[in-house]
Amino acid sequence: MGVLEGIRLAWRSMSRHRLRAFFMMVGVMVGISSLTILYSVGESTKQETIKRFKRMVGTFDTVIVRPGAGRMRGMISLTTAEPTLKFEDAQAIASEVAEIKQVAQVQNAFDIDVQYRDRAATPAVVGVSANWLDLRGDEVTEGAFFTNDDMQSLARVAVIGMDVQKALFPDENPLDKTLRIGDVPFQVKAVLASRGAGPGGGSLDNVILIPVTTASKRLFNRDYLTMTVAQLKDPEDSETAIRKITALMRERHRIAPSALDDFTITSPRASMAQVTQVGSTLSKTLMGVAIIAMIIGGVVIMSLMLIAVSERRKEIGVRRSVGASRRDILLQFVLEALVVSSLGGLIGIGVGLGGTRIVIQLQNLPHIVAWDALGLAVGLSVVIGLVFGLYPAWKATNVDPVAALRV
Amino acid sequence: MIEVSHVSKVYRRGDGTPVTALNDVSFAIVAGEFVTIRGPSGSGKSSILNILGCLDTPTSGTYRLEGEDVSGYSDRQLSRIRCRKIGFVFQSFNLIPRTTALENVEIPMIYGNGRVDRTKATVVLQRVGLADRTRHYGTELSGGEQQRVAIARALINDPHLILADEPTGNLDSVAGMEIMRLLQDLNTEGRTIVLVTHDDAVASYAAREIVLRDGGIGSDRSTA
Ligand SMILES: Nc1ncnc2c1ncn2[C@@H]1O[C@H](COP(=O)(O)OP(=O)(O)O)[C@@H](O)[C@H]1O
Ligand SMILES: [Mg+2]
Repeated sequence: MGVLEGIRLAWRSMSRHRLRAFFMMVGVMVGISSLTILYSVGESTKQETIKRFKRMVGTFDTVIVRPGAGRMRGMISLTTAEPTLKFEDAQAIASEVAEIKQVAQVQNAFDIDVQYRDRAATPAVVGVSANWLDLRGDEVTEGAFFTNDDMQSLARVAVIGMDVQKALFPDENPLDKTLRIGDVPFQVKAVLASRGAGPGGGSLDNVILIPVTTASKRLFNRDYLTMTVAQLKDPEDSETAIRKITALMRERHRIAPSALDDFTITSPRASMAQVTQVGSTLSKTLMGVAIIAMIIGGVVIMSLMLIAVSERRKEIGVRRSVGASRRDILLQFVLEALVVSSLGGLIGIGVGLGGTRIVIQLQNLPHIVAWDALGLAVGLSVVIGLVFGLYPAWKATNVDPVAALRV
Repeated sequence: MIEVSHVSKVYRRGDGTPVTALNDVSFAIVAGEFVTIRGPSGSGKSSILNILGCLDTPTSGTYRLEGEDVSGYSDRQLSRIRCRKIGFVFQSFNLIPRTTALENVEIPMIYGNGRVDRTKATVVLQRVGLADRTRHYGTELSGGEQQRVAIARALINDPHLILADEPTGNLDSVAGMEIMRLLQDLNTEGRTIVLVTHDDAVASYAAREIVLRDGGIGSDRSTA
């Protein structure tokens, strides 16, 4: 008997015992559909997270130096930061670490009232150096970003985010208008292109950028930074750069060899890896659940096949008497299990793709079909049919035709 | 055609005690014969028939079929012989449930070298007088009709040897006669027929009768 003939036989036997076939399929169906959903949604979530993270940090080819030893929760601001990271530290990193292309200095504060006429907003006020836009790869939609001259002259100029524009200038052109940050008047020079939502879901557009020198001397009266962003010449060099910056900073801050750093260096690439790692741990756990469902499905297949074999002893005897060898019987029963579990797998994929579509629509995620997961699913259902069908099929080959045919 | 020499068959019961079903049986059957095997219940009739049909192997002795000594054959080899040379008919018809007459008849073709030939199966069903029953399931057919489907199934691969184990045992006398006439026709065509029975009326169709007694041959005589 050929394999094709065997598949035809298996198909017929399945359509003769629909209820049994259904029960044999359920486990595989549930397992495969959940696997498909988990994998596709997981992949989709991961890509969305990466996208949002990228929006927040702008570019991955940087290392970020923050004041303070421990990892602080949330965003550091001037009120919470230790006053140890100085402007000169940033300059030293730029000039003394060969791997660094440029360094941006940052001073940021929250909860500062910003007013224009009778309108008010409380965006994040961030003092940055003039290379900020270039370093991050951000863009302005209107006007021009402030320059090194503005930095030098401590110009009171501001670049506002989209949310600030909406809040303060709902129906007028903000360019060259004068708004107040705290009590200090600033002239709007440009509007930032929208960056959308960050990793936590909050808007990244509720922000005002001003020259960091102006921020330090005219607004906040602080001579330390909340953050320094150092851009690498070659993204591969981040570890070397971190090592060199650490050494440089320890030297500049005169930290004794036994003492801990008074600063923290992170790399967005590493943080990103951590974020997606968490995601994939979760999906691994869920995949375990799906695999357990499939193993249960396999055991159901095996028990129902065993029952079928003992119910069909006479059929086995007849087939043997008309010329079926042990191998033919083995093939027939293995193929029955295989056809049922593969069909269960295919239906599972269909259900899974439908489920994925729903979840993705509900959570507003990008639509991604994880083709490798589908391949895995098909492979798994075939393997399950094979593994759990083999024992009953072997039992079938051991049915003695003479005994089975005796009246 | 058939040469059985010094064949014995010993079964083991569940508890391990041996049961001798056949004890040093020897006989020969030439091609085209119609032979009945008779004897009381438990005398070894089915045992010898299963050996002739290559469904079982003797414990000792040799069995030659069309000149081939099949005693040491593997499962694959015996299966091929069953498929091509032998047609079985049983007392209890043994049609496969939830399967049409036509599909039942097609089964042996699956295990032959050819593909399933539906036209051929239809023709053979016609031949046994069931042209209008091809789509019927076993449960929708009378006993005589079921047995005719079984005969069609036995014939589909065109075997030289037909082995029937009390084929009329479950039938009324009219249906039984029809089956016997069918077997007689097959014999007239040149097929060798070995038939197990304990019905005198049935035995009268055959030209030769072997009687078994306690696993041995009691008598072997021509009844022509
Ligand atoms: N599989 C078996 N296991 C044990 N004993 C068996 C088996 N098959 C047949 N026998 C015994 O062998 C003897 C002959 O059986 P059988 O050939 O079926 O006789 P008949 O067909 O003439 O009634 C009987 O005593 C029967 O009980
Ligand atoms: Mg018997």
